[in-house]
Parts: sequence; structure tokens; C-alpha cells
Amino acid sequence: MAKKHTFYVMTIPAMVLFFLFQTYPTIQGIFYSFTNWKGYGDWEFVGLDNFLRFFRDDRTQHAYSFTFGYSILSTILVNVISLFVALGLNAKIKFQKTLRAIYFLPNILSVLIIGFIFGFIFSHVIPELGASLGIGLLEKNILGNPNLAWIGIVLVAVWQAVAFNTILYLAGLQTVPMELYEAARIDGASRWIEFWKITFPLIAPFFTINVVVAMREFLMAFDHIVALTNGGPGTSTETISLLIYRGAFQDGDFAYQSANAVLYLIAIVLISVLQIYFLQKREVEL
Amino acid sequence: MFNNKKFLSILLAAVFAVLVLAGCNSEVGNASNDSANNEETDSSSNEGEVVELELFSTKTENPETYQRLVDKFEAENPNIKVEVVSQPDSLTVLKTRLTKNDLPDIIATGGNPTFGELGRAGVLKDFTDSPLVDDINEGFLYQVKDIVSYDEENVYGIPYAGNAVGVLYNKAKFKELGLEIPTTWDEFIEVADKIEAAGEVPFYHTWKDAWTITVPWNDLVINIAGDDFAQSKTEGEATFIDRYSEVADKMLTLRDYSHNDVFGKSYADGNQAFANGESVMYLQGNFAVPAIKEFNPDIELGMFTLPALNDADENMFVASVDVLFTMPKDAEHPEETMKFIEFMYEEENATQYMEEQFAISAMNNVTYIDPIMEPLKDKLAEGKIRQAPTHYYPAGFPAAQSIQEFLIDGDKDAFLKKMDKDWDAAVAN
Repeated sequence: MAKKHTFYVMTIPAMVLFFLFQTYPTIQGIFYSFTNWKGYGDWEFVGLDNFLRFFRDDRTQHAYSFTFGYSILSTILVNVISLFVALGLNAKIKFQKTLRAIYFLPNILSVLIIGFIFGFIFSHVIPELGASLGIGLLEKNILGNPNLAWIGIVLVAVWQAVAFNTILYLAGLQTVPMELYEAARIDGASRWIEFWKITFPLIAPFFTINVVVAMREFLMAFDHIVALTNGGPGTSTETISLLIYRGAFQDGDFAYQSANAVLYLIAIVLISVLQIYFLQKREVEL
Repeated sequence: MFNNKKFLSILLAAVFAVLVLAGCNSEVGNASNDSANNEETDSSSNEGEVVELELFSTKTENPETYQRLVDKFEAENPNIKVEVVSQPDSLTVLKTRLTKNDLPDIIATGGNPTFGELGRAGVLKDFTDSPLVDDINEGFLYQVKDIVSYDEENVYGIPYAGNAVGVLYNKAKFKELGLEIPTTWDEFIEVADKIEAAGEVPFYHTWKDAWTITVPWNDLVINIAGDDFAQSKTEGEATFIDRYSEVADKMLTLRDYSHNDVFGKSYADGNQAFANGESVMYLQGNFAVPAIKEFNPDIELGMFTLPALNDADENMFVASVDVLFTMPKDAEHPEETMKFIEFMYEEENATQYMEEQFAISAMNNVTYIDPIMEPLKDKLAEGKIRQAPTHYYPAGFPAAQSIQEFLIDGDKDAFLKKMDKDWDAAVAN
């Protein structure tokens, strides 16, 4: 009996806190998305107005297309690069532990600090390099060019995200039994075949989780965009999270942005469920 | 001891208690406030008791100066204690407190839309007949009425300090190149041409940060688009297409007199570059001066108005009310509050504020102005100043971003059309 009490004491406070600070505000947000609340003061119900407005709002639509494009590209790049790095770090090489620590470093740095450091690199270091090498395209800050700013953003996002995904892949690679490789080598399989026939299928669960986690993370992009471009030039790198924050807290458009957040929540849940459904299908078990 | 069910029910009861409390925390908060207020009112009726006032400031740069003045005030008035409150996101806090009917005793804010809202809500004291208002610069006074309503006649806040935006210039370089302060647009462009001919950069634009674009934009708009634009536009009598065409052209002209990475440099980059002499002029406000001097304490700075028109006498510049003092209509301690406000407007104290904060005084009898801003003095005395017009733009109208896009692609017609469309959408929502 006493044991059970202990478990309740351990779990219920967490549930209460979760309900208070997550579930309750979520329900509140959904509620306000049907009103014209400004974030303070009086309000009235407006039905589906906020949701309909979404379809004639260019700025919001642009934010959606930018966020999705950016997320898909970054997810692919992060997974390819981090799997590559993880394979290297899993091999028997010198300084393996040191290298692992170094590759993990970006993950423990604050995004804002990374943003400001890269901001400096883009606005001073690269242009000076470009000027001295005579490369016209690099002479200007790419973050100031509406057609190129996304490259800088993807670069920084991928650079940081690779750290965490590499750790997950490393953990995955440890689960592959060495006997399989030995057997494959006796059969004369090349390294390439080994990877595609043994390693990749066996770490498929980690691939699934990495794709889902990375995609969700990129879809929520906010802080490094603020640090690098603040959504600019114009609104060319404005993500959905940034737009929701600005609209709701700076422009007093709370209800509309709540509706936007509700739609976005549905979109993210759908995407995650679909990803898990399709990726899990191809996972194999030993 | 407890059986399982009993234990669970106690826990659930506790959970509900927490939820219920959280659900009605606003009322609980109000109730405790009310009782606190009652105590205060009771105590203030007793002679010799200490009255506590809250000075709520929406500016984060000046609490130290306030504190020094408050210390002096408290020394003179041992019965009154003033607490300086300056917190992040203070305008939202102020709006929230308005809806809860819990306004601070003394409000120090700027000529911003939140002040306009408080004024329209009818909760602020009407200072129209206060003797303090007689000494206020008419340009600033016009702004605090105008921000409340287009044809407002009452004064709901007394302007205290202002900031100015215009053209900062490097005095040493002006002397070296033999240049004089321009007073018309043509002279201004001539100066820029001469600077370019001498191989220097006329302006250091920092248009990666969209807000810095609104600095010259505002100076051009108040002179070209007309005072009534926001009002007329909302009523459908004016459009960006017919009022802003010249503004857009002049912005493009200014864009081209700069370094080659205008949209790649930030405000911080600009302060440093201008401080190090990388440009001769810098389109910024007086608020940038402390940052510039940090990079180069020896720089000889001056500031003049951006001459948007060719009629030198007509030119106005943007000087917004940065600080105004006001108090609720139903103040709990009206006498003590007024006493503090009057204290702030005394010449000696106001001068101390202007010096420490590098601000422009809103009072005609406080004539101190930092030597850097000397050339602004005449226009200031004539009241040829206006509030930043972007303050009148509706919430949710992404002006700075749209202007930035336009300056990158240079398509004026598409830009003005987009501005009209975005404005209508922002007003409709």
C-alpha cells in the first residue's frame, strides 16, 4: 500500500502542473480563437471569422510556405549529415571521445548566442573574405538579400541540429550486433552493401525518431530566426511561430493568431502522425 | 493510516482547490488589492502617516535617473514614499491594469498608442487647466492631444521629455570637406554629392534592421504626406498612392547615397561604423548618441533636421514625446501625486533629467539642450515638430517590413498599392 502512495505522490503533482501550464492554456487558446480578443479587455464570439481570414492573408500564407520549405530541406540535410558523422564517430578512430564531445558542443550553446555569432560572421567575416577573394556574391551580407537569406538560416539551423541527431544515431549504431558485420564480411559484402543491408535497416527506429524530432523542431523555428534576421528582409524569412508571436503580442491580434496556432497545431500533429506511420512500416526487427 | 481511496480523494480535492484558485485568481488578486487600498486610504487620512505612491515607468533606460530624483523628493517630503516600477513589456502590463481598474498612482510613459487608448478610455486626469501645461512646448502639447484623438482638445498627460530624429553628422569631416548644414532638400543632396565626390560615404544605412528605415521615412512623411493622413486614410479619403509617391522617391534617392551593403548592416554595425568615421552623416535619433560615443568618445557630433522640403521655413522634424507624466482621474492620493509631478517639472530637476538622459525638454522654461542638438533649437521653439507618423499606423500594419522590401526591389507602384491594401486589411480586422 505504502508503495502505491509514493507513486501517486510522484506522478500527480506533475500531472497537475502539466494541466495548469500546458493543457489549460491550450484550451484557453482554442477558446479565444473563436473570439475577437485583443489580449486584454472585452471580447465577443465571432465564429469562424479568424479561420476564414487565414485564407485571404498573404503574410500568413507566405509564412507557411517558408516554414515548410525550410523544415523539409533542413530535416533532410540534418539527417544525412548527422548519420554520416555518426558513422565516422562510431568507427575505431583515434580521439573518438574527444571528437564526440566536440561534435556535441553546438547542442549545449544557447541559440541566441549562436545566432549573434553567425550574424557577425555573415555581416563581417564573409563579406570581407568575399571582397578579398573578389567573389561578388559574397561581398554583401546574404542575410540582407531576400532571395538568399534562407540559406544562412538553414546553414545555422542545420549546424546546430546535427549535434543532437548525431548522438541519437550513435546510440542507434551501438545497438547493431557486431556478429552481423562479421558474418557479412565472411560472405564478402562490401562496406556499401553492409550499410544498406545491415546498418540502415537496423537503425530504422532511430531514423524515424530523428526525422520526426528534427522536423518538429524546425517547424517550430523561432529563436535563431529572431537572432539572425528577425524575419527579414521584409517578411521573407518569417516563420509561423514568429508571425504568431508578433501578431499576438505586438500587434494585439491575439484571437486571429490563436486561430493560426490552432491550425498549425493540427498541421504539426498530422505531419508527425503521417511520418511515424510511413517510417515505422519500413522498420525491421531482428 | 490512510486507505487508498481516502488518499486519492484528498489529492483530487487538492487538485481541484488549486484549479479553482487559478481560475479565479484575478478576483483574488483584486480583493487583496482592494483591502490594501482601503488600508492606505485610511492611513492617509491620519496626519503624519506615510503615503506610498507607485511611479510606473514604461521606459527601461531611465530608472536610475528617476531614483535619484525620487530620493531628493523623499528627502524634501518625508511623508511620501515613491516606488519606481520599471518592468519589461510594461505597455502590455499597463493595458492589463487598465482592464482591471488598477492603474498606478503616477504613470510615466511616452506618446504611444497605449497612452492614446488610456486617454480615450476616460480614466486619466484632465490637465487642460493645470498651470504646468502653460509652460509646455506647443508642438509636444499638440502630440499628446493628437495621439488620443484627431480633434482632441483636452490634455491627459503632460509632456516632459522628447527625442528627436534627424541627421547626425561628423563635425570634423564637415569642416574638412568645407560643408555647411543644409536647410533644403536640394542643398542636402548637394552635400551628399560633394561627400561622394570626395570619396567618402554620405550616409551609413543600417537597413538590415527594418525599424531603422522608419527614421528617415518618418521625417519625410511628416513634411510630405500631411498631418491628417492616418485619419483621412482610415476614412477612405486619402491613399498611399496619392500622398506617398514623393516619400518613396526620396527614400530611393537616400538609399543610393550609402555603402554597398545597405541591407546587410544592423543598427549596432552602424553606430560603430559612423563612430569610426566610415560615413559623414548618419540618419538616426539622439538616442543613438550614447552608443556612438561608446565606440569613439572623441567624436565631434552634431545633429540637424532632415530637410525634406525645398522650403527651409516649412521643414519640420520628428520629435516625439518620450516621457509624459499622467495620473488616474480617480487618484487615491491626488494631492501627494500632484506634488510629485510638480516636483519633476521644477527647472532644476527637469534640467537634471535632460542632462542625464540626453533628452530634449518639453518645457519652454527649461532651456537646457545638449550642444550636439543645438541646430534643432529654433525649429523646436517654433513648435515645428511632429510625432513619428508610424505611431498612427494601425496595429498589424507591417509598415517597416514593406518599406524594406520596397527599397530592395525598387518597385514603387506595387509598394504603394500594397501599403493601401495592407492598411485597409489592418483597419478591417
